[in-house]
Amino acid sequence: MITETPVIEVNGLVRRYGRTDAVNGIDLRVQAGRCYGFFGRNGAGKTTTIKCLLNLLRPTSGQAKLFGLDPARHEVAVKSRLAYVPDHVAFYPWMSVRETLDYFASFRGHWNLDTERRLLGQFRLDVRQKTSHLSKGQRTQLALITAICPEPELLVLDEPTSGLDPIVRREFIQTVIGAYQEGEPGRRTVFVSTHLISEFEGLIDEFTIIEHGRNVLTLPADTARERYQKIYARFSVEPAGLDLAGARVLRRQGREIEIVVNGNSSDVLERLRARSPETLTAESLSLEEIFVAALQPEGVTA
Amino acid sequence: MRFQLNFKSGKPVYLQLVDQVKSAAASGAVQPGELLPSIRPLAEELRVNRNTVAKAYAELENQRVIETIAGKGCFVRESGSPFKKDIRLKLLAQEIDDAVVQAHHLQIARAEFLRLAEDRFDAFEHKRTSAGS
Repeated sequence: MITETPVIEVNGLVRRYGRTDAVNGIDLRVQAGRCYGFFGRNGAGKTTTIKCLLNLLRPTSGQAKLFGLDPARHEVAVKSRLAYVPDHVAFYPWMSVRETLDYFASFRGHWNLDTERRLLGQFRLDVRQKTSHLSKGQRTQLALITAICPEPELLVLDEPTSGLDPIVRREFIQTVIGAYQEGEPGRRTVFVSTHLISEFEGLIDEFTIIEHGRNVLTLPADTARERYQKIYARFSVEPAGLDLAGARVLRRQGREIEIVVNGNSSDVLERLRARSPETLTAESLSLEEIFVAALQPEGVTA
Repeated sequence: MRFQLNFKSGKPVYLQLVDQVKSAAASGAVQPGELLPSIRPLAEELRVNRNTVAKAYAELENQRVIETIAGKGCFVRESGSPFKKDIRLKLLAQEIDDAVVQAHHLQIARAEFLRLAEDRFDAFEHKRTSAGS
């Protein structure tokens, strides 16, 4: 069987700052053509992991590979195939938008001028404007143009939409779907770290949640939504001795009960149905709710 | 046609798209020969992964609900399922089973259930005639 080399492969990645473990054994495997979400709270180790991928930090131990290559040993080969949009975008303040684009293009073997022209028009950016005069939203848009025009195989986005207004955020995501994913979708991989999960809900097809520098959960998005369900039941009288094993109780008040289940919804639903509820509904959790459920202490389980 | 996604339904997003095209075709909201939106604008509009839309269209093509004409786009086909009738009936029976179970829990009696089924047939036929006029 031929297995394709993953675009990103991280094994047991550890990175310490002094005595603090920022990353403490992360594993990741991102196949080509996927849009992969990397979720975690502030300080969970997302940016440190990304910096190790980009060879901006050396791992203390463990291994990160991009396109099957060690980013430290093959820095140019790796970096020519990816683009990175950080959370705080910095450009040379004395350069205009035009000069900035030319500067970025000068490092690239390939630059799609058509895409550049289209995106400049779409974002209504004035090429004569100095980058120091751009708003935060406009700086992010410029960074996105510099990332998409080289048509890289991998687009790494670190908290790309935090602090942006809703219109810029919308345009940002549409640009990633439209302009970036358009050509050769099998070779356009997105790796996005964010805690604004709901914005990327439709885009993500697989994700990893980390906490304290460790993996918590890795699942395809559709599987996760199928597995994590919120069940609401209302009985005619308060039910006594209800068997809620395997469910996490969110709310229980008189005749009503609201619970979250993980993978065993049909089993739990069956037990609830046996008690003839007046109302019984089940709906999937959103990725954001799954994130919260995955990081909540187990103590709440009934 | 209009698509409406619900991330809380527990149904994979691409299957929601598949089912919505099929039900639009069954109700006449899209007619045979009509062009579906192409992948990129639809993905942008729904803000979903381009691959999700591509997967839905591939599945619809597989089920012979639509056909792709290179350079022109995806068109709705004349209805006609590739499955043999008994398989088609079996597929439908599974869906009906779900509804029967649900009816039981909602305390809807058999006669009422069957009457509702008649009503739904009428509703679809009505939609189809008004869409065709």
